[in-house]
Amino acid sequence: MESHFMKIKTMKNLKSILMAVAILALASSYALAGGVKVIANSSVKADSVSADELKSVFLEETSSLRDGSHVEPVLAKGGAAHEAFVKDYLGKSDAALQTYYRSLVFTGKGSMPKTVGGDAEIAAYVAKTKGAIGYVSAGASAEGTKVLEVK
Amino acid sequence: MRRAIFYFLLGCVGAAPAYLPAQDFKVFDRTVQVHGFVSQGIAYSNDNNWLTMQTSVGSYSFTDFGANASMPLTDKFRIGAQIYDRNLGQLGRWHPSLDWAVADYRFNKWFGIRGGKVKTALGLYNDTQDLDFLHTFALLPQSIYAIDLRDSTIAHEGGDVYGSVSLSKKLGTLSYTGYAGQRQDSHYGGYPYLLKGAPALINFSSYGGLQYGGDLRWSTPLKGLLAGISRMDENIDGYGTTTAFGPLTPYHEWSKADWTNQYYGQYAHDKLQIDSEYRRYWRNQEIYSGAFSVQTDVRGWYVAGAYRVAKRLQLGSYYSRYSIDVPAQVGLGVPAESGHIYDKVVTGRVDLNRFMNVKVEGHFMDGYGLPGYYPSGFYTVDNPQELKPDTSALVVKTGFNF
Repeated sequence: MESHFMKIKTMKNLKSILMAVAILALASSYALAGGVKVIANSSVKADSVSADELKSVFLEETSSLRDGSHVEPVLAKGGAAHEAFVKDYLGKSDAALQTYYRSLVFTGKGSMPKTVGGDAEIAAYVAKTKGAIGYVSAGASAEGTKVLEVK
Repeated sequence: MRRAIFYFLLGCVGAAPAYLPAQDFKVFDRTVQVHGFVSQGIAYSNDNNWLTMQTSVGSYSFTDFGANASMPLTDKFRIGAQIYDRNLGQLGRWHPSLDWAVADYRFNKWFGIRGGKVKTALGLYNDTQDLDFLHTFALLPQSIYAIDLRDSTIAHEGGDVYGSVSLSKKLGTLSYTGYAGQRQDSHYGGYPYLLKGAPALINFSSYGGLQYGGDLRWSTPLKGLLAGISRMDENIDGYGTTTAFGPLTPYHEWSKADWTNQYYGQYAHDKLQIDSEYRRYWRNQEIYSGAFSVQTDVRGWYVAGAYRVAKRLQLGSYYSRYSIDVPAQVGLGVPAESGHIYDKVVTGRVDLNRFMNVKVEGHFMDGYGLPGYYPSGFYTVDNPQELKPDTSALVVKTGFNF
């Protein structure tokens, strides 16, 4: 009898663990990079982007998503969310990213992307700017924007 | 000289601006971005004068600056231009030039075109070699990015096709550039400076020609690892006058073959960056209006490493190896052996803020190339006392950009 209850308890624990894993996996698709969520202006049609697409947008290799939506990246000046986004999605350090943008600007191969203060400023800018795409901390308010799933 | 360097560094720290002036403005609802940079250096060497400067007594003649403006006309179409000027010893001499002026249309990630005067993609740093603030080192490895030969590779008037293709997560990304155009050298580069002196006594009125090639770089699936290959072919004509045979006579030289192959790799991880490149430059020329032919075989490679030890401090070092061979030919003297320069370099770079930096760099060189045949940083005319086999040099440089 006791072992039967033990079995049921173990099954319940397993279920809880699986649920937790599923929730975490789901959450991580929205906030892959150390608690960062990717947000876009409501004019952007897509509800999701691939990590590769996101990288191309922020490295100025493309200015549109696969569905044809025009996008313009906006970055934070610094902070934990910025560091995490740059490292995990762009594969660079902040210093290397600045060097990359400057090399584009001074060789005629690109322009300096819009940079604003932090989470609140990014969210506000993305909310009001057609095609803007940015990132904020997972816990930050992103009112007026849409959160993109990163696949 | 030590006191001068001290005051120079003190001035840099004092002059570091705390903020930037506005650099964007709107034209017809489109944002115009304006950016610029300036750098100033001091070079001091023990015996030999280097890079056309009087470095043996210390030289401040080491300045360059540039400014650009660019704007998007549509979401995919962008225009811009940059001017550039430098005064490096006898090079540049404060004659400004149009560095680049491009119209760029990017259809999508994998295909774009740009035309105008375009910076040439060749190896890791050809197109950014003037942009001191992007690099750890005050002088890039001279075996490949010779500052006195900048004109020969820096840009072409023509067009590029470019793009990048994601292969797959397992295979990384391939980026390509193909280009064709005309190269036109300034009158104030190392090659005209070399030939102006004895025994050549040539004054060029124009020097340039067709330049075409491509660059393929692979961002490997291993994060931070890049590998690439570049090729450039040229068909160059130089016109001018010479007094080498007494009276002033017209001069013409042209290339029968002129190509460059370059292979490179880069690994960047967190605070560490390692670069390595190899270049071979080969040319076969008719000179003195076809009276002689000369072949030049230049090979260079380097390995460089840089590490950011603190937020504002980066330390770096490289070993750069340059060799030049002028094979036997009819009618011209042949040097007894190939020339070389082996350069060991250590650098410290301090970022005073996001826009200003100071670099202190030591060069320890063995050899001086073949000064009578092809520019290699050391010129006979600057060293009438005869070149010594070894050169040690200190370079201190500061730069500002916005």
